[in-house]
Amino acid sequence: MLIVNLDSARGALVQEGRELLAAMEEALLAIETEGYTEERVNAIFRAAHTIKGSAGLFGLESLVNFTHVAESLLDRVRTGELFVEGAMLSLLLTCGDYIGSLLSAVEIGTEAQEPDEALRAWLLTQLQEYLDGTASDTAQEVAPFDEPYARVDVLQGEPVSSDLWHLSWRLSPEVLRNGMDPLSFLRYLGKLGRIVYLHTITDRLPALGDFEAEACYLGFELEFESNASRQEIESVFEFVLEDCLLRILPPHSQIEEYLRLIRELPESPQRLGEILLQSGALTPNELDQVLTRQHAEPQPAPPLGTLLLESQLVPQPVVAAALSKQKQVEDKRNHEQVFIKVEVGKLDQLINLVGELVIAGAATNLHALRRDMDMVEEAAQAMSVLVESIRDASLSLRMVAIGEVFQRFPRVVRDISKELGKDIQLLVTGADTELDKSMVERLADPLMHIVRNAMDHGIETAEERLASGKVASGSLRLNAYHESGSIVIEVSDDGRGLDRQRILDKALQRGLVQPDQSLSDAEVYRLIFEPGFSTAEQVTNLSGRGVGMDVVRRNIELLRGEVEVLSEFGRGATVRIRLPLTLAIIDGFQVMVGDEHFVLPLEQVIECVDLPPQEGRHHLINLRGEPLPFLRLRELFNIGGRASGRESLVVLQHGNSRAGVVVDQLVGEFQAVIKPLGMLFQKSRGLSGSTILGDGRVALILDVANLLQRASALSVGTPVRVSAGGA
Amino acid sequence: MSSLAIHHQGRALAIAEAPLTQQFLTLTLGQELYALPIEHIREIIEFGGLTEIPMMPEFLRGVINLRGAVVPVVDLSVRFGRQRTAIGRRTCIVIVEVEQEGAAQMLGIIVDAVNEVLAVDANQVETRPAFGARIRADFIAGILNQNEQFVIVLDIRQVLSVEEICELVGMASLEK
Repeated sequence: MLIVNLDSARGALVQEGRELLAAMEEALLAIETEGYTEERVNAIFRAAHTIKGSAGLFGLESLVNFTHVAESLLDRVRTGELFVEGAMLSLLLTCGDYIGSLLSAVEIGTEAQEPDEALRAWLLTQLQEYLDGTASDTAQEVAPFDEPYARVDVLQGEPVSSDLWHLSWRLSPEVLRNGMDPLSFLRYLGKLGRIVYLHTITDRLPALGDFEAEACYLGFELEFESNASRQEIESVFEFVLEDCLLRILPPHSQIEEYLRLIRELPESPQRLGEILLQSGALTPNELDQVLTRQHAEPQPAPPLGTLLLESQLVPQPVVAAALSKQKQVEDKRNHEQVFIKVEVGKLDQLINLVGELVIAGAATNLHALRRDMDMVEEAAQAMSVLVESIRDASLSLRMVAIGEVFQRFPRVVRDISKELGKDIQLLVTGADTELDKSMVERLADPLMHIVRNAMDHGIETAEERLASGKVASGSLRLNAYHESGSIVIEVSDDGRGLDRQRILDKALQRGLVQPDQSLSDAEVYRLIFEPGFSTAEQVTNLSGRGVGMDVVRRNIELLRGEVEVLSEFGRGATVRIRLPLTLAIIDGFQVMVGDEHFVLPLEQVIECVDLPPQEGRHHLINLRGEPLPFLRLRELFNIGGRASGRESLVVLQHGNSRAGVVVDQLVGEFQAVIKPLGMLFQKSRGLSGSTILGDGRVALILDVANLLQRASALSVGTPVRVSAGGA
Repeated sequence: MSSLAIHHQGRALAIAEAPLTQQFLTLTLGQELYALPIEHIREIIEFGGLTEIPMMPEFLRGVINLRGAVVPVVDLSVRFGRQRTAIGRRTCIVIVEVEQEGAAQMLGIIVDAVNEVLAVDANQVETRPAFGARIRADFIAGILNQNEQFVIVLDIRQVLSVEEICELVGMASLEK
């Protein structure tokens, strides 16, 4: 139990640490852009100090020691001994990143390993230089950090649990020719103690044709129980020392030693790991440490031959199974430690509502017992109102401000603009717009991609900007707002915009469009989301935009959202992402075609009108003088039969486009709990999910965006009878 | 020494526990008998109607509500290139679990009837014939000889390959 508590406390430490780092970064950037204030420096100092303090509680020395040095520097800034300037800010920002990586290591439980030794050493020297500039008495304090390796050793130097000697012995082919018999050495070794386990390495045995009877191809791995000293054991092999490779590890050796051993021996690490595990020299856990550390180190690429040989010789040993099992446990633990911060007010509101629901439930029971149908009906209604409010309240618990995503961009913009040598200002608006927590996490990557693209390709260099009559510094704007049941996120820049002609040329060249096709601007811009289109380096350089935009679109579509580009050539471009507010429950509008029920998201239903019988032979209808494309669900879904009564037209809107869908019957509004259709239907178009109706049947939720596309595709080619005869 | 001994003991135990008999559920489809290894089967339910899904390949008959989870239902007969299964009194849906990329996917299959559970010695399952069967060869895991009648053991991972079905679903919904 204690361990579990400690684990969750560690999770809290990581989370708190991340928040503090974010605050620290914000303050650093504020100093850079708006200048030094005491308050800001204090904020940074407090952040570093608190991280150090909490890390100390857990004995995370690596974190404590590093933060301590950074803190010393900050302290000096605070007391006015040092002055913050550009280079120091950059250094402190990098320190923040490094502390972040240490926290990540704590999160996944690998804090015993140094995430980036070179970076740490470099940062410490840099920090030290600043510190040395004013005083030298801290030098002592910091001295141990000059040898991070040594420190790491102390931290990681857990001895392995095995209390046996481990001997690795590889004989050179000449041994037999020189008149030595390996067996006799082993027998002699037996006099010093007991050979507990012996594994003969026969990997070097050649094919029979190449086999030389006089050569020795053997090697041995031994577990040896003995009270003899290292020297005594070594002396056993005295006569062959020159003709062999001998490694002796005493009982309870450091894991480091095993790592070194594995590195020195000719066999592959996996193979050795398997033997070590079998022989009981290492426990699976220890082996895991050795192997991960071994992976972390750069090693020369082995020749292809050995690689192939290895992969065939080592059919995923026991080790892999044991290791993956441990990983699973770890992943699970990480998964459970996801936190969400909730406003107390929201929680109180939810609890109030639940209280009311309990009372309403009791009332309903009472009326039901009295068989008072009128009252029961009333009570049931009151309850469903409450259930609805509770739904809203509990969904709002999952809502977080999008600022959580936006807050990382000031830093990104700063770094990239430095890298590109462009002067770019970032403007963030609507950061308090809320959206579902699960979406926030998955939105970060696509947004990052769009922002990078805009800065790299959209915004011109200062010279180009001046030449085209703009101000020298470019501006990038992140904006978010709610609009009819979805959240809209915009990334705009005032750069060169998309070049319609270039995109079109490229698309023609790639065969994405036909020469005689006439495309609207929106359709042309949509081309940049085509896979393969973007990877063309040339396009990227010439027209701007496009690296991996198809990935962006895919990610957004996975969230049931959509992305579009607006652009004015020479003036700038805007990427607009539209996402549904939540993924769990929607207000649905139920319709019927034949016996089938379908659900449309209520937010996208504009109105319902009766379809006059004579209308709708074509795929356009005259709706109060406006032409409206429409389609019949019965035809699209191939449902047999005919509508018995008069058909209805449901007008749907998605983004800026509208279309109608013809159905047999309108059933009405209801709350639809979205059930995903699962992996099988991933690639289907036109359906966005399913829900379960009151009677237990499954109803499909239609994908409005897709329906609209189909409707407008159908209406193309229909004579534009309506617009002429309209009004 | 201790760890070595434990390792060996563990291995010996594992061998002793290795199942010598395998259990299969036999089911009728059209006029033929098929068998499914029992470890894939979650439950068997009576056919109680389903919701058809438009724009799907024909063998994907629809979805059912299985205690709040939406489960797709496959018509095996159509999957084997034959007529749609007519719904009768004994029609059942067998709920199976297929694993794909580490995630378990529940699927229902419509069958004309389920018969019995057979316990068969592992060596009694013969390898599939190179030809002669009327369904795709990779759907067959082996052949059982039961009372002079041949029963085809289905390879459920192939028959209900999530990957393949996904592709077919994608194609079917694009055709429209």
